[in-house]
Amino acid sequence: MKRDASIKLVSEVRDLQIVDSEGRNCGICDDIEFHGAPGTPLTVAALLVGPGAYRRRLPRWAFRLVAMIAGERVARIPWKAVDKITARIFLSGPAEELGLLRTEDRLARAFRKIPTS
Amino acid sequence: MGRLIEITLGIMTAVGGFVDISELVFAAQSGSRFGFALIWAFAFATIGIIVFGEMSGRVAAIAKQPVFNLMRQRLGLDLGLLTLLPAVAVNIITCAAEVGGMALVLQLLTGWPYKLLAILSTACLAAIVWALPFKWIERVFGLLGLLMLTFVAVAAAIHVPWREAAAGLIPQIPRGLSTQEIPSFAYFVVAIMSAVLFPYEVYFYSSGAIEEHWSAKDLMMNRLTTIVGFSLGSLLAISLLINAAVLFRPLHIDPQLPGTAALQAAIPFGETGLLLALFGMLFAISGAAIETCLSSAYSVSQFLGWEWGRYKRPHEAPRFTLAWLASFAVALAVVLTGIPPLELVEWAVVFSIIVLPLTYLPLLLIARDRKYMNEHVNGRLSNVLGWGFYTVLCAAAVAALPLYIVTSGGQL
Repeated sequence: MKRDASIKLVSEVRDLQIVDSEGRNCGICDDIEFHGAPGTPLTVAALLVGPGAYRRRLPRWAFRLVAMIAGERVARIPWKAVDKITARIFLSGPAEELGLLRTEDRLARAFRKIPTS
Repeated sequence: MGRLIEITLGIMTAVGGFVDISELVFAAQSGSRFGFALIWAFAFATIGIIVFGEMSGRVAAIAKQPVFNLMRQRLGLDLGLLTLLPAVAVNIITCAAEVGGMALVLQLLTGWPYKLLAILSTACLAAIVWALPFKWIERVFGLLGLLMLTFVAVAAAIHVPWREAAAGLIPQIPRGLSTQEIPSFAYFVVAIMSAVLFPYEVYFYSSGAIEEHWSAKDLMMNRLTTIVGFSLGSLLAISLLINAAVLFRPLHIDPQLPGTAALQAAIPFGETGLLLALFGMLFAISGAAIETCLSSAYSVSQFLGWEWGRYKRPHEAPRFTLAWLASFAVALAVVLTGIPPLELVEWAVVFSIIVLPLTYLPLLLIARDRKYMNEHVNGRLSNVLGWGFYTVLCAAAVAALPLYIVTSGGQL
């Protein structure tokens, strides 16, 4: 991968909607994890989802505020789980297998108990 | 034929849903204080909402992107958050103003205590959004909001000097205003622009287009709904202004409360007119309360990439559901603090115009981007109008807060 290409990847993939194989919205790509060392090729390891991934993107005070409200959870989506990227990022498997939508599922169970939900 | 009915219903819903409490308050106050001199401000702002509404519907149909997804992509996390937080705050303040307005109208109809009615109204709205299919809610509130046409009938029934009223379409500062009144007039211009261009309307409209899976074949319907629906809706607001100029101004009545505007209908049509006007206002305000509340939920859900949608059952989009329930709860809490609804309306219009430039920037950028829009990219007219209005909005955003402070919310 050319150096320019990796920079393009960050600007074009970060902040895109992530959709799982069942068509459900399961978060935004909040950051990208790279692997590599000086002299070795830089490779994309994972997409990071969740408020914990804001750490490098927000001023420290703003991150602390977000963490106080929403916690610091980060879900890691291995790059190989990405099926295709258009204006959205499509995953090859269901969200649950990648540790996504846990809060969503808990809430859904609670709401199902309420009549007419 | 089915398509024609769908378009007609869409337009009627847009008309019925156009007026909310801020337009009610500012239209009636404008007419009462400045006669016909602010009609142009409504007409001008209506062109703005048509331009941005059409653009947001087109982007939703072609790029399949809702506003806050676009905002996140285009502005990034930090600037996006800087837009999201005030946008949600403005939506909640607006929702609180609508709930307060509902309670005031219901108080006129029942005589019950204001705070109790605010609680009952919020509970009722939440139950309706929870239980009923959204298409029903949209149609019922939009169509019953058409009772507001009573105000158009009032304008037809009273003796309006139409030549003078038509002269109000020309941008102007009325002669004879004192140096103290000129900033107040400017504040009303900014407030009217803000009330007509409320950001929640665009969030709501474009999100609906995505949920209804609009495509290129829906672009004509989008254009018709925005141009015809919003123009006719604006006529309702202008009727309120004209009626206030003819009926209230000579008597020096300052319609501070939404209920005062309903008296316009009582003058020519008696008790029946009053009731029709009050029910029209009630449904128009209730519909706006639902839209503002859902708009908060859309904004947060789209920004954070959650499952969202008003057509989904509550358990199918649980975080979205939690977001709108929380919005209703916070709005109600604001009302129960005892802040008068009129003050909430003023905060809503001032803060929303400050947020507007950030809301519309990503929309303008995407609508002119051929990569997203293909051949449906902005034409020259859309670009000129879009960027022209954007410049005016930026100027209004800069002027809003100083004008609000200097004029004590237009009271001087």
